[in-house]
Amino acid sequence: MKTSRKSKLQIGILLLPGLLIFGIFTVYPIAKLFLMSFFEWDFGSMFDQQFIGLENYREVLSDEYFRTSFVNTLLYTLVTVPGQMVLGFLVAFLLNQITRFKIGYRVLYYLPVITSWVVASLVFKYVFNTEGLLNYFLVNVVHLAEENIHWLDTRWGGLTVSMLLGIWKGIGWNMVVFLAALQTVPKELYEAAAIDGAGAWKKLLHVTLPSIRGTVLFALVMLTIGGFNVFTSVKMITGGGPGHETDVVLTWMYHKAFSTGEFGYAAALSFIITVVLAILAVLQFRLMQRKEG
Amino acid sequence: MKKKTVHQIILHVMLLAALILVVLPMVYMVSTSLKPNGALYEYPPRFLPSTDEITLENYRYIMGEGKFYLNFLNSVVVSCACVVIAAAVAAALGYVLARFSFPGKGMLFGFIVLTMIIPGLTLIVPQYELAVKLKAINTLGGLIPFYVAWTIPYSTFMIKGFVEGIPRELDEATYMDGGSVFQVFGKIIVPLAKPGIASVSIFNFLTYWEEFPWANTVLNDNLKRTMPIAISGFFGQHQFTQWGYVFALSVFSLLPILIVFICCQRYFVAGLTTGSVKG
Repeated sequence: MKTSRKSKLQIGILLLPGLLIFGIFTVYPIAKLFLMSFFEWDFGSMFDQQFIGLENYREVLSDEYFRTSFVNTLLYTLVTVPGQMVLGFLVAFLLNQITRFKIGYRVLYYLPVITSWVVASLVFKYVFNTEGLLNYFLVNVVHLAEENIHWLDTRWGGLTVSMLLGIWKGIGWNMVVFLAALQTVPKELYEAAAIDGAGAWKKLLHVTLPSIRGTVLFALVMLTIGGFNVFTSVKMITGGGPGHETDVVLTWMYHKAFSTGEFGYAAALSFIITVVLAILAVLQFRLMQRKEG
Repeated sequence: MKKKTVHQIILHVMLLAALILVVLPMVYMVSTSLKPNGALYEYPPRFLPSTDEITLENYRYIMGEGKFYLNFLNSVVVSCACVVIAAAVAAALGYVLARFSFPGKGMLFGFIVLTMIIPGLTLIVPQYELAVKLKAINTLGGLIPFYVAWTIPYSTFMIKGFVEGIPRELDEATYMDGGSVFQVFGKIIVPLAKPGIASVSIFNFLTYWEEFPWANTVLNDNLKRTMPIAISGFFGQHQFTQWGYVFALSVFSLLPILIVFICCQRYFVAGLTTGSVKG
């Protein structure tokens, strides 16, 4: 189809607003981020920058606080991604077999997903308070703990609460995604497996899971990105404390940018995270493709 | 037949047990918002208030003295403006990307996919610098172009997928009748891609409505705050956190989302599962 001049003009007009907004507010900042990472660039003196080459990168990589935050982010991702996927899948698996109240369950299980991160974080903060409801339950009702656990002011306590929140908030999303996938698995496959004498467990392993492999990959990539995105919950629940022990990469980056004003450092850190995440996404795709082939 | 009923009952019992755990925190939030403020530091803590102490005093404070309806209005204005702009911009982009080739198309699409992978917050430093240059700091209007820009990649990607599902013959027929690119967009694409645009818009609304880090960085004037910032503002303001106010405001902030969610349930599912179910 040949494109007339008038059509070209109209295509251009349709493209223009999107290109302008995307270009100015996303593409330009990406370029700027890259540039800033090579400069001594402080918040207070925005117009007085000095080129320092890879110094910011060296500083980030040799920074103990950054390493701790990176380890915390990895742990968070390694725990919450499988956690939500397994639980979300289980709920979907059960939901797929029931005949009544399907929609009711789906709506209620989805509630945490639509609850904002700020609100959800505060609810968890309140529940896990040292004098809060959960400790009271653990100590005085079920006697699982001797005394109140310091959830919010220790490294492992704080990380645990953030992770539990991440899993709690993600189950609903995984449920919906896996439920949609389960509904596409052809019934004949189960019937054929049943004729071959396969039990419920074998059907799950040899029919269900291979059939929804694409969805598993999709969820894995999306959730890994989500895991590295964790920010608001950590900021609200522990604020990175005590002594930055529960910081994740983004809260640490934010602290460096807006508390100590080291924009150059924060830019280098941001760039490193982007590269790590891009590599992870590519690796996950490769891995799944190899399993397929 | 009987065995089937037992199986169903077992399934429901398991689903209900897990469900109770999942909704418990939400119930606790609502119950705390209904307790008088003095009861919030009681020990032992109680899950539910006793029937005679249930009170709306927290809600009265939020709506009256606290003037938090202003924050609510801020959120409504920003979110709605962004939803409309993003839908229009992304529909146009998605349409052009799905139907036409133009120089730089590959690069544009590459950037769109790339920005879907990058954590949005990694751009906060250069975006902040840009906001300072544009004098957008501490203005509600300053939020809008940034929010729209963040949601363009995902929105465009999704709408492009929907447009690709619309038969090209419909476009051709309009061209035959002497229709223009604009007319195809307005008469064919937008009406037929409506479900896609709707589900994208719902997700965008949720994103704008709950956005915290950017608004928290850019806005510092109390009256200009959006809801998430107003809620988090209860911390550090007083020596003791006023949990009753916090949760009353939280419940209040969840209402529009609940309404949207209940009214548009089917679009939610459509938006979530597109692209996820493949082989």
